[in-house]
Amino acid sequence: MRADGLPLTPSMKAWGLTRSYGSGDTKTYALRNVSLEIYPGQIALLMGPSGSGKSTLLAVLSGLLHPDAGTVLTLDKDLWAMNERQREAFRLEHFGFIFQGYNLFPALTAREQLEMILKWGTGCSARDATARTSDVLTMLGMSKKAHLRPMQLSGGEKQRVAIGRALIKQPNFVFADEPTAALDWKQGQHVIELLRAAAHDQGSTILVVAHDARIIPFVDRVLHLEDGILYEGEERPMELYGGPTAPSPGYIAQ
Amino acid sequence: MSYALSTLWFERQRYLPAVLAVAFSCLLIALQCGLLLGLFSITSIPIDESSADIWVAHPDVPSVDLGIPIPEAWQSYLAVPEIAHTEPYIEGFAYWKKPTGGTELVLIIGARLGPDSIGAIRQLTPELRMLLSETSSAVIDEGEFTRLGIEKVGDTAEILGKRVRIVGTVSGLRSLAGPYLFCSLDTARKFLNPPPGQCTFILGKCHDKEDAPKVVERLKAHPRKLYPFTTQDFSFHSQMHWLTKTKAGIALGLAAALGLLVGAVVTSQTLYSATVASLKEYAVLRALGIPRWRMAMMVVSQAFWVGIAGIAFAIPTIFGIAFVGAEVGAKIMLPYWLLIFATSITLVMAMLSGLFALRSLRMVEPVTLLR
Ligand SMILES: Nc1ncnc2c1ncn2[C@@H]1O[C@H](COP(=O)(O)OP(=O)(O)O)[C@@H](O)[C@H]1O
Ligand SMILES: [Mg+2]
Repeated sequence: MRADGLPLTPSMKAWGLTRSYGSGDTKTYALRNVSLEIYPGQIALLMGPSGSGKSTLLAVLSGLLHPDAGTVLTLDKDLWAMNERQREAFRLEHFGFIFQGYNLFPALTAREQLEMILKWGTGCSARDATARTSDVLTMLGMSKKAHLRPMQLSGGEKQRVAIGRALIKQPNFVFADEPTAALDWKQGQHVIELLRAAAHDQGSTILVVAHDARIIPFVDRVLHLEDGILYEGEERPMELYGGPTAPSPGYIAQ
Repeated sequence: MSYALSTLWFERQRYLPAVLAVAFSCLLIALQCGLLLGLFSITSIPIDESSADIWVAHPDVPSVDLGIPIPEAWQSYLAVPEIAHTEPYIEGFAYWKKPTGGTELVLIIGARLGPDSIGAIRQLTPELRMLLSETSSAVIDEGEFTRLGIEKVGDTAEILGKRVRIVGTVSGLRSLAGPYLFCSLDTARKFLNPPPGQCTFILGKCHDKEDAPKVVERLKAHPRKLYPFTTQDFSFHSQMHWLTKTKAGIALGLAAALGLLVGAVVTSQTLYSATVASLKEYAVLRALGIPRWRMAMMVVSQAFWVGIAGIAFAIPTIFGIAFVGAEVGAKIMLPYWLLIFATSITLVMAMLSGLFALRSLRMVEPVTLLR
């Protein structure tokens, strides 16, 4: 249920997801019959020990890695029934990504890194791209650093540019794999707040993988993955619980 | 500014080898061709510097340097209204016996010397022509003394056991093969011994130079199987003869191909490794659904800008080297069509290298970003 009492419709439903690596004796299961639903306007945190299959789950849900079995249904479409090209177009239209590494082009300014996505991806006019990029940079608190190249930015600033790159298309979904891992807590907190704002203000569905339990108070929901098995954590709408509280020990990653 | 160009500028150290390789290719092609053009333009100097409009040769004649005797009487075939004047022209190789010992192959060029002569080169002043009217005297280029084993005007040597005397010099008429010996028809006959009444070429001068091509066409149809040329055609024919005879054309082609290959390999490798260095960035774009062709375009336009930068380096260098070359006596001709040819072929080479570097994009795998 949402805070206003209306029922939530999941923006993505997945069931029976299985994914293994290798074969024979070396075969390891990264996902074992995982099912989940995620909701628009929410930021969900996926936690779990290292090697538990979090990245694999993210890759399968985001159309980057084919599952061995299972279905991912999103916006009424079966993601893994599409052909490669359709999936690519679907990602372009609906998905944003943030990775642990910033993966920014060294030669391009913060502004160019964002504009590029619009110009190359959506084919929108240069003027619209510039305007929208300015908006996003302002939202990220990066408008004064728009002309700087990655080399001249701190880790947190680089990650903010990477977030901008994920958000600039105004995607329905954002998948973030350990976006805070390389940042100190203050920077990491800022990153999560930006993602949270994207969920709450734009209605995006956001799935974040992170280790740091201090993030828990900032998210709407916690999922826990262990040895390829997903445990549904409690939903903790902030509105209901009245602000951040100390995380329950069960959600602290090792 | 395009992303490709920004990248090129920002990471110029990475791209420098490719830029230099392109510049090298362009330089090599332009200078090689320019040098050959300069070199082979020498072979037609006696033609270009004459005042004739029409040259008639034996059907088998390959070049101005290698004439085959034809009867002087053939001048009558040129008695057409458009032609104002005809005269015989004799030339051929002979061995010049140096006073210092040894021999040198020289090209004897004998023409009429009168003020209205059409065979004599323009550089022969009235004074020189007067001196040449004495049999057994000759004029050479001022740079040929050492090659001929003599020191100054007035020195003598022997051809066919007969004494020959240098009575003056001209400049800018050094030859590719044997030194030119400019002289009178009588002197040429004396040293070349053509069959009586025969000459090497028959020259014609038109009332109106513009008529020459038309007259040549008519002469070609002559039952006597004449082999007529306009001066421009004959000059070109002569240069081409040397180009093919000396296999310089093949050498040129090989050198140019090698230069292009080096340029292509370096450019392609540079672009390849630059792309590999950005694989993760490209992978993010792929994850975000940006189509692959956008990245391909990025690589190809980098190739384009590498090409442009290389050419920008090459052009001033080419002119610099041509200038220095001219100073030391190597004639490098750089007509605009040659520069266009050299730059376009190197640009095409750079772009093809870009296409070849595209295989690196196959390694872009977005899932590798999720670890
Ligand atoms: N490309 C791969 N080849 C083989 N095994 C892999 C590969 N990727 C992941 N794994 C294995 O799958 C399991 C889950 O990995 P991953 O999804 O990356 O976990 P997490 O992101 O939670 O650390 C791990 O045991 C890992 O070793
Ligand atoms: Mg991981």
